[in-house]
Amino acid sequence: MSDQSTTQLAETRLASNWSRATASWLPAAILLLATVLVWEATVRIFAISAFIIPAPSEIARSLVAQWDTLMQATLVTAGEILFGFLVSVVVGVAIALVIVRFDWLGRALYPLVVLFQNVPKVALAPIFILWFGYGLAPKIGLILVIAFFPVTLSMLAGMQSVDRSLLSLMNSVGASQTQILFRIRVPHSLPSLMAGTKIAATLSVIGAIVGEFAGASDGLGYVIQFASTQLDTALVFAALLLVSVLGIAFYYAAEILERIVVPWAPKFSQS
Amino acid sequence: MRIETIREEGARPAHLHPDDLISAKGVSVVLARQQVLRDINLSIPEGSFVSLIGPSGCGKSTLLKVLAGLVEPTSGGVSIAGLSPVEAARKRMIGLVFQDANLLPWKNAVDNASMLLGIADKSLSRAALRARGQEMLDLVGLGDSAHKRPHELSGGMRQRVAIARALALDPAVLLMDEPFGALDAITRDSMGQSLLEIWQRTGKTIVLVTHSIDEAIHLSRHVHVMGIKPGRITESLDIGLPYPRDLAVAEDPEFVRLAVQLRAMLRASHKPGGVS
Repeated sequence: MSDQSTTQLAETRLASNWSRATASWLPAAILLLATVLVWEATVRIFAISAFIIPAPSEIARSLVAQWDTLMQATLVTAGEILFGFLVSVVVGVAIALVIVRFDWLGRALYPLVVLFQNVPKVALAPIFILWFGYGLAPKIGLILVIAFFPVTLSMLAGMQSVDRSLLSLMNSVGASQTQILFRIRVPHSLPSLMAGTKIAATLSVIGAIVGEFAGASDGLGYVIQFASTQLDTALVFAALLLVSVLGIAFYYAAEILERIVVPWAPKFSQS
Repeated sequence: MRIETIREEGARPAHLHPDDLISAKGVSVVLARQQVLRDINLSIPEGSFVSLIGPSGCGKSTLLKVLAGLVEPTSGGVSIAGLSPVEAARKRMIGLVFQDANLLPWKNAVDNASMLLGIADKSLSRAALRARGQEMLDLVGLGDSAHKRPHELSGGMRQRVAIARALALDPAVLLMDEPFGALDAITRDSMGQSLLEIWQRTGKTIVLVTHSIDEAIHLSRHVHVMGIKPGRITESLDIGLPYPRDLAVAEDPEFVRLAVQLRAMLRASHKPGGVS
């Protein structure tokens, strides 16, 4: 096949990929638009008061009017999420490594980690406020206790699913446990770890908002709570919209990270 | 050659036949109160190609693991050039190939081929490892796929990389546990033929565990038939067909006769073998 026709083929394939992507988004976009229109119409027809259900146009107006305040709050919350998420990943990975590498410590630690997972961690928020005050620290603490678990669990699952005959190969040439850990188990666990990381990204958003509900003087959670006491429901919804956008942004950031870290993962390998 | 130096180093026990590289004496293995192997006696001459064939549950894979030092026999012992299997493995005398290629998906073919060597010999530089990996890929006929990742390779190609990885250690013996068991019949035939060529070029001793009568006769010089309950060697058969052999050997009347004989032996091996 000539170079030119190969290029053409590639272009056609790219175009068809693009149209396929559009086609898969289109139904969702139409449904969303329809929902917004029905919502707007319902609120107007039945003259529902804005502090119960604000119309989408009302929310948009509030979003524009309070733009500076909201952006400032978004920045604060995004900072908490990012910092808390990174701490969760580091701590989660460290716990998983300790559990796998040090057998006796792992047997002591693992049941405690599972036990701790059953504590309703949202309920820890007031205690963290009591301990760490109203600043960044209690939010990071809350995100950590909520988000480290899927990181630890997914990495453990990945590290422990290494094929036995591969371990036999390593043992036969006298590989040390540390070599097996870092050359085989850790890279092998990355696809699974990245899946856990995406869950942690989503949970980090929840952790930050709950932390702000419990006590804060800034951030989107604070805006939501403050606006609801003022019966400014439109502002509540505007802040909620921004929280959702943050959540989606963090999720896709984690997804992009996944493509960079594990381009060889089975899910990307179908050619 | 490496095999020679090993032979001079190892103090050879008196009971060993001078040409035997591997010798198993009275090997029994009991796992979870089940007698998996009973009183296995086996001597494998240096440079030969030996197959272990038998029904499922005859312990042929376990026997291979005993030879590799991965399973400790309950009684009896194995010596490889005068060393215990574990010692031999540490001296890179044993190359292992399993049914699953077990390549690392994040490494390309050449890095996979040199991966075990890198663990075994920490003094080797990255460049030296690459060169060795490339050399081994050339040997198994994958020289131009060095930079492909495992998911870009077919099942047969992956298994070739696994063989290259074992050969990179320059082992005296290659222990293979159904290496072609997961491949289709055509790939399987060509892999067998390639293995024969590699064997003849390198002079390694090869022990192959297989389910396939044709594969055993096509490739090996000696075939040991194993029986079940408990796992034991019931018969041994010399394959007198001259080397080099190719796939056409299957049409040889002698091949056909041996296949009939081996099939009869296998049928007999399915009967439980009395009390110990």
